[in-house]
Amino acid sequence: MKNLLFVVAIVFGTLFQGVNVFAKPGDALKSLPVQDGGRVKPYDSFAREMLEIVYGKSTYEKRDATEIVMTWMLSPQAWQDKKIFEVRNHQLLQALNLPMDQRYFTGEQIFVNEHFNLLRQELQAKRESKEKLNPYFQALQRLENQFFVFQEVASGRMLKVVPPKEGNAWISVADLDSQYQEKFMGLTKSFIAYLGAMAKNEGVEETAQNLDKSVLDFKEAAKANNPSVYVPDAKINAEVLYNSFHPFRWAYIFYFTAMTLLLLVWTLNKEVLMKPMWLFLLAGFILHTFGFSLRVFIMERAPVSNMYETVIWVSWGVILFSAILQFINKFRLILVAGTMVSAFALVIADFAPAVLDPSLQPLEPVLRSNYWLTIHVMTITISYAAFFLAFGLGDIGLVYYLRGENENQEKIKAIVNGIYRAMQIGVAFLAPGIILGGIWADYSWGRFWGWDPKETWALIALLGYLAVLHARYAGMIKHFGMVVTAIVSFSLVIMAWYGVNFVLGAGLHSYGFGAGGLEYVSAFIAAHMLFVIYVAIVRSGRKKVAVRS
Amino acid sequence: MDKAPGSKKSLLKKLNKPLASVKIAVFVILSIAVVTAVGTIIEAKYDSYAAKKLVYDTWFMFSIFGLLVLNLVAVMVDRWPWKRRHAAFVLAHIGIIILLAGGVLTMKFGLDGSMRVGIGEDNSFVQSSETDLVVYTSFDGDRYSKTLEQEVDFFKNPPTEKQPFIIPAYNSEIKIVDYKKYVLPSRKVTAGEEGKTGAGLRFQIQNPNVNVIEWIVQKKPNTLATHNFGPAQIHLGSAPEKGRGANEIFITPQKDSSLQYVVFQKDHEKPVKKGVMKEGDSFDPGFKMAMQFRVLRYLPYATEDWDLQMAEKPTPLTTSAVKIIFEGKEHWVLLNDMVKLFQKNAVYLLTYGNRRIDLGFPIKLKNFEVTRYQGTMRAMAYESVVDIKDLGERKISMNEPLKYNGLTFYQASFQEEMGKPVASIFSVNHDPGRFWKYLGSLVMTLGIILLMWFKHLDFKLARNKTPKNGE
Repeated sequence: MKNLLFVVAIVFGTLFQGVNVFAKPGDALKSLPVQDGGRVKPYDSFAREMLEIVYGKSTYEKRDATEIVMTWMLSPQAWQDKKIFEVRNHQLLQALNLPMDQRYFTGEQIFVNEHFNLLRQELQAKRESKEKLNPYFQALQRLENQFFVFQEVASGRMLKVVPPKEGNAWISVADLDSQYQEKFMGLTKSFIAYLGAMAKNEGVEETAQNLDKSVLDFKEAAKANNPSVYVPDAKINAEVLYNSFHPFRWAYIFYFTAMTLLLLVWTLNKEVLMKPMWLFLLAGFILHTFGFSLRVFIMERAPVSNMYETVIWVSWGVILFSAILQFINKFRLILVAGTMVSAFALVIADFAPAVLDPSLQPLEPVLRSNYWLTIHVMTITISYAAFFLAFGLGDIGLVYYLRGENENQEKIKAIVNGIYRAMQIGVAFLAPGIILGGIWADYSWGRFWGWDPKETWALIALLGYLAVLHARYAGMIKHFGMVVTAIVSFSLVIMAWYGVNFVLGAGLHSYGFGAGGLEYVSAFIAAHMLFVIYVAIVRSGRKKVAVRS
Repeated sequence: MDKAPGSKKSLLKKLNKPLASVKIAVFVILSIAVVTAVGTIIEAKYDSYAAKKLVYDTWFMFSIFGLLVLNLVAVMVDRWPWKRRHAAFVLAHIGIIILLAGGVLTMKFGLDGSMRVGIGEDNSFVQSSETDLVVYTSFDGDRYSKTLEQEVDFFKNPPTEKQPFIIPAYNSEIKIVDYKKYVLPSRKVTAGEEGKTGAGLRFQIQNPNVNVIEWIVQKKPNTLATHNFGPAQIHLGSAPEKGRGANEIFITPQKDSSLQYVVFQKDHEKPVKKGVMKEGDSFDPGFKMAMQFRVLRYLPYATEDWDLQMAEKPTPLTTSAVKIIFEGKEHWVLLNDMVKLFQKNAVYLLTYGNRRIDLGFPIKLKNFEVTRYQGTMRAMAYESVVDIKDLGERKISMNEPLKYNGLTFYQASFQEEMGKPVASIFSVNHDPGRFWKYLGSLVMTLGIILLMWFKHLDFKLARNKTPKNGE
């Protein structure tokens, strides 16, 4: 692991050394190092995260977060009547006496509201009782945080831009001494000039270059204060690139294209399309790997510490496993299923930032520099990839059952074979993964097995698939049974993967807890269950007809 | 297996056949899945202790595991004599059995406790999750002897009015009549019996920024009870002649139920203020921050009790409590708390709490350090430096436990007050099953990998036996 990190660091280090090739004039501001949330990050990431917290999106009316957040600080009054605070919880809206059909509100609407202070006291009382916060209080807590973040950004206390001579807390814009104050004024002046030029659409190039120059000027001066803690440009540039490039978005676009081509090959029998399909698949996979490696490079750790990162990792594993199985079995539907579920997972990761947090966060103490942790999480989650693939194949299998069991016997047999293999791969990773989890727990808590909900649910998922494999061995389930259980058992994986952290919210794996998305996940599972039941009914109906005739 | 003649062997196999059924295996696997799933839901709703008591450490959980082992053994007997293709499944199954055996060893002979050591302090007791009831008896009010020590599990077998838990006492009995799993305690002080209990004082310290209202109760008559209020200490009891270099207020009960007050300041040896006051009176102690000290209530004889608010679910603030009836009087005792019961000729000291196991050597916490993520209060890592007599100074951190005397000390967490760490919490552990668990894991993993290797020879055979039917 350490060696791998080292190689990645060298490759990317040289790649992003010096000037970022993708940058255009006016972009230098994005890579201004700032300290926030326990690490030094580019201003670009800082601004996106702040806007995300307050507004729930990383752009505001198509304007970049970098611009919005800077203007919060430069002229907070201008934002007083803008609807930038997102409130989604209906109960909270009711308590604030605000219209329920809106989602965004102005600061005056919420914080000048006499209810807000009462609600804050209510929240404080709830916190003191140390009970778990329900969705209403979570929403209230978020609102308090939105208020705090906006206030702090506006006052200049949030944006910390100069490294300290001693200690490790950087100096915020509000606390800069006169020398730096002046330099920062220069930066803001050219920023305003640049905005003005953009609005009028004249002299953009020139003001942009001016802005870049004053940013570099400020960086130079800030670095001089304590060069040893100023993060190298390569890292900052890599993160800015990561923010703007969206490698995972490109990956799923390529996967979708590959899937479409595969379907064309399948339906129209156009063998020639196989080559471009492989090309797209490979391109997607390379981008996927690239994005993953970028996160490794920026954070110096294996990125499997929250839901978002495991979704990325699992979708990567799905492509890998389906490509391997395709090579062995020469059965293309495996790749169709693989690209389908992988792209699906990546799309979800891309469109649900409120639930799957894509920001780069430092780790909790227990998770730091722990070899076994990384290994056990990666092993367990990669097994989910195999089960996910089996699930995708199960879906396709159901479609074939609907289209006619007798006509598609060959295909169904091949699908079941793929499901069986995928389940085997999954079990072969999940069982050792759970054991590795035990070793980790033994290593850092002194307890091999403690019935912690996360590990217990991983075990339950394993038991589910073991039951399926044994039942097939005993002849209790046949082809249709395998297709059905591939889908049904995956709900155990969803529970272990998502449910424990987002529904149960208990146990020692508390660093991965989150909220939200429950209604969508439940609907997803329910829809599949209904599909399974529907196909089962149709199938048994057909059988009865067949028997009668 | 014994080398029995063929006929005997086949009889054994015949008897064994139903037990070796894969259908039983599927049933067992699914039962474990369902039962543990219920366990996780209970843990989410209540806490891990409840899940352990209600699901994981129960006879039905053990029976399912027993059935699993029986089934695993039976299958292996059924396939005897083993061939090469059996290697995978035999290894996987033996691995599971060894793993479970390791688990049993841990449960029977292991220790899994926790230990809190304050910075600069030492401790030699490990607290485990079992609960004990201990009674000390004294006939002269001075020397106590242990008259009862018994493990109790009130969570599973709660005492009730009808079926109380009875502890014999001299000419009488102590009855435990109720158990509450989750209560929110708050202290309550009531008038006690003359001569047996100490005095109680409810005071208020107030200025525009501070408003503190507290009780101080003497444990015994004429002893000193103290309330530490950051910049100053308030004592109930007799005052010394000279100050001790701190801001202190002494309130001394007088015979006529008035109170004498004496105030010392940090930099004066002699008292700066003296006077007499009654319930309801107040005075300004003359500290730097202007404030008023008021006596709200004074009881010459006071006993402490708990006011309990029942809770449905546990929170970090709830605890459990038992209700005791002795000589017609009710007392509530919280977990890890004690109560004194008086009789004409005897005094009983009853404690109810987690078992404390003496390690036989103290652990001194020399130093504790937290490193935080730059510019935040978020902990990045923490480590303790401990001192053990025969070992010297050692470091314990998140991934570097300390092994000593068959015990392993892990850095579990720490306690913080006002943003500063005050104590380190270790989990202390002795696991005789560890070797078997690792061995079992290894064997089982080997089996699973082999299973992949041998593909599905066994499955192919099974499929050839059963004729295809329309699937």
